[in-house]
Amino acid sequence: MEEIFQKIYEMTAISAIIDNPSFLIMYALAFVLLYLGIKKGYEPLLLIPIAFGVLIANFPGGDMGVTAVDGAGMVKLPNGEMKCIWDMSLPSIAHDLGLMNFIYYMLIKTGFIPPIIFMGVGALTDFGPMLRNLKLAIFGAGAQFGIFAVLLVACNFFTMPESASLAIIGGADGPTAIFTTIKLAPHLLGPIAIAAYSYMALVPVIVPLVVKLLCSEKELKINMKEQDKLYPSKTEFKNMRVLKILFPIATTTIVAIIVPSAVPLVGMLMFGNLIKEVGAATGRLFDAASNGIMNAATIFLGLSVGATMTVDAFLNWTTIGIVVGGFFAFGLSIAGGICLAKIYNLFSKKKVNPLVGATGLSAVPMASRVANDIALKYDSRNHVLNYCMSSNISGVIGSAVAAGILISFLG
Amino acid sequence: MEGNILEAVKLMVVGMATVFAVLFIIIGVSNALIAFVNKFVGEDEKPAAQPAAQPAAVNPAVAQAIAQAVNVATAGKAKVDAIKPL
Repeated sequence: MEEIFQKIYEMTAISAIIDNPSFLIMYALAFVLLYLGIKKGYEPLLLIPIAFGVLIANFPGGDMGVTAVDGAGMVKLPNGEMKCIWDMSLPSIAHDLGLMNFIYYMLIKTGFIPPIIFMGVGALTDFGPMLRNLKLAIFGAGAQFGIFAVLLVACNFFTMPESASLAIIGGADGPTAIFTTIKLAPHLLGPIAIAAYSYMALVPVIVPLVVKLLCSEKELKINMKEQDKLYPSKTEFKNMRVLKILFPIATTTIVAIIVPSAVPLVGMLMFGNLIKEVGAATGRLFDAASNGIMNAATIFLGLSVGATMTVDAFLNWTTIGIVVGGFFAFGLSIAGGICLAKIYNLFSKKKVNPLVGATGLSAVPMASRVANDIALKYDSRNHVLNYCMSSNISGVIGSAVAAGILISFLG
Repeated sequence: MEGNILEAVKLMVVGMATVFAVLFIIIGVSNALIAFVNKFVGEDEKPAAQPAAQPAAVNPAVAQAIAQAVNVATAGKAKVDAIKPL
C-alpha cells in the first residue's frame, strides 16, 4: 500500500515542486501576468496566452516547456540522451520533447509567426493619419533612440547579438522584438518577449512618467489644431483611396531597397495594409489576415513564448538585466521622440506638441490614446490623437527598419 | 569590451541615420505620390448617401468626434448613420 502511495506521489507534480520550490516563483509570475491581462485589461490578447504558457510550462512532467538548447544546438532528451536539435525531424521533436517544442520549432524558431502577425497589424492599420500629417512621421525615427542608446550600455554586460535583442525592446513592438531575438539571440526569447509585451502593456504608466519628467505645462498645451489654423497645410488630397493603395507598395519598395533584412516585417505589414485598402476585391483576404490568421498566430505565439519561460531559463541574472535594460530602452525611446519634437520647435514657426514625439515609438494605438488623454488633461479642447497616430504608425516602420539594421550587422 | 563599445557606437550612428533616411525618403515619396494622384487620378467619389440628418440637439463637432472614434475602434468596418438622443 505504501508503495502505491509513493508511486502516486511521484506521479504528481507535487514531489518535483517540493524538490525545487523555485517553480512557485514561476506560478506567481504567471498569476501576476494573468491578473494584469484579465483584471487590468493590459494587452489581454497577448498577456493571457503568454501567462498561461508560463503556467503550463512549469508543471514538472507536463512536457509543455520549451527545452533549452545550448549554443551548439544540443538538447537533453527526457531519457538523458543528448541530441542536436537541428538533426531532429519535427515529428521526433513532438515525440521526444512534447507538443510545445513542436509548435515552437515549427512556428517561432523558423521566424514564421512575427511577419504573419505584422500582416494582421497592417490589415488593421489606417495610414490615413500619417499621410495627412506627413511631416510628423519623422518623429517615428527620433523615438528609436532608446534602442541604440541601450545597445551602447548593454554591450558591456552581454554579447553584441544579445545586447541588440535586449535593446530592440525600445522599439515597443512585440513581433519586431521577437523576430530580432529569434535571429540574434534565440536563447533569450522568453524573457525578451515577456519584457517587451509587459512594457507595452504598461504604456499608460511609462509614457506619462517620461512626459512629466521632460515636458513643461506650456509645451503640453500646444494645440495642434490651432497651429494648423495659424499655419495651414498647402497639401490637398483629391483621392485618398488611390493614395492609400499606392502607399504600401511604395513603402515596401523603399525599405526593400535600403534595408532588405527588414522586408519580412515591413513587407508583410504593407501587404496586410494593401489588401485592406484595395477594398471589396480582396475583402476575403483582408478578413483572413485581420481575423482568422491573426488570431491563430497570436494564440501560438503567446503560448509558445510563455512556454520558453521555464525555471532554468528565467530565474537568472540575465533575465533581470533584460528587464532593467528593457525599461531604459523603452523610456529612452519616448525621451528621444520628445527631444526631437523640442528641437523641431526651436527651428519651426509651427509648433508641435511634444506628445507627438513621445508617440514615435510603436505600441499602436495605445501610445496615441494615452498621449491624447494627457493633452486633454491640460486643455480639454486639445485633441492630439490624429497627430500622434502619424508618428505612432511611422514608429512601427522605424522600429522594423532598426531591427533590420541590427540583424544585418550582427546576424 | 572596447571593441564592443566601438561597434555599438558605429551601430548607433549608422542605425539612427538609416532610420531617419528611410522615413525622410518615405515622406518625400509620399509627397510625390500625393502630387501624382492629384494630377493624374480623378477625384475620389463622394459617398453615395450622406448620413441621415442629425437632430438639431446634437452638436456637429460631437457627432464628428463620435464618428471618428467608431471608425478608429472598428478599423473602418462600421460607420455612424445617425445619432439620436435617448
